[in-house]
Amino acid sequence: MHEQTEVIERAVEAYQALADLAEAIEDEWQYVNDLADAYLPSIRALAEVDSGRPLTANQVAAVDEAIAEIGLITDPHKAIDWLSTFPHVVALALGGDVDGAVSAGGAGADR
Amino acid sequence: MRFQDAAKDGRAVVYAGIQADPLVARAATLLTRATAAERWLARAAMNGERTEADVWRRIFPSLFGEGVATELRERAELILEASLEVANRGEAARSSYRGAVVEELTARLLTARHGPAASDAQVRRERRVLFDGVPAEIHPYDVTVESGARPEVYDCKWGARGINADVLNQLDDARAHAAEEDLRLDVAVVVFDARRSCQIRLDRSTASRAGTRLVALEDLDGLAEPRA
Repeated sequence: MHEQTEVIERAVEAYQALADLAEAIEDEWQYVNDLADAYLPSIRALAEVDSGRPLTANQVAAVDEAIAEIGLITDPHKAIDWLSTFPHVVALALGGDVDGAVSAGGAGADR
Repeated sequence: MRFQDAAKDGRAVVYAGIQADPLVARAATLLTRATAAERWLARAAMNGERTEADVWRRIFPSLFGEGVATELRERAELILEASLEVANRGEAARSSYRGAVVEELTARLLTARHGPAASDAQVRRERRVLFDGVPAEIHPYDVTVESGARPEVYDCKWGARGINADVLNQLDDARAHAAEEDLRLDVAVVVFDARRSCQIRLDRSTASRAGTRLVALEDLDGLAEPRA
């Protein structure tokens, strides 16, 4: 579990840095913060996923490689795209999920 | 209500060239029968900074790792290859390619629902919808299902950020105008992005959207299924 917590902490730190970069797009400030508010707790929660066996080296390497990928981004527009993508990529690598509770309001999302 | 080809300006002609690129058809064909994980691979690789295949194989161990069935791995390889070809078209072009892939994927899934030979429900591209006494919309719809009984229009987006008031208002206006003619027009926005991110985007929008369906990355297979 210790290794799982550590790799998730690295993912959280990288995601926060990505959100900080994306905030440079003033028109999308609210969206960026809404994404971060939604996904940061979900990424953190991946540390609590107990599959009954420790993470494999490949799973840890996958998350670290995804962290390296978003660490290369310098364009805030691209950062916004990855704010949505990165949590799902990390979840897939770890066998978890970051969908959380989707709001019931608004457009018939799943009509 | 009637459908009409959109007039082609210079930008549309350039974009039509991208839509016709065999790479777009190849990527869309692969994504039509892809799993959600494979679609995430495509989204990530087409958005990526790095274009070395090994990087993406390491990021997606559930698709390329040890123990993955050969057939699944080979399919993921084809998706990765096509996705990296899109990424390698360069920063300026890749966003157009990504948009074209989503449109083509949507059209193919809808065609799978109706069958390619269905004469009463043709799946078309870049079409306008005209209503009596209503000025024509500025932007054509990316994909339409031109059924006399139950027509549908789709706007396609690569990312949730593409959801905006203009898109939602145009879709809702079309639905409302059709209702004025006693027609049921199904309107939807297809987004190759996480449902959760789309919903976050929608939750902040004040545009009318009660009658607009969201089809996110996780929901794409539903396009090929019969409508309720």
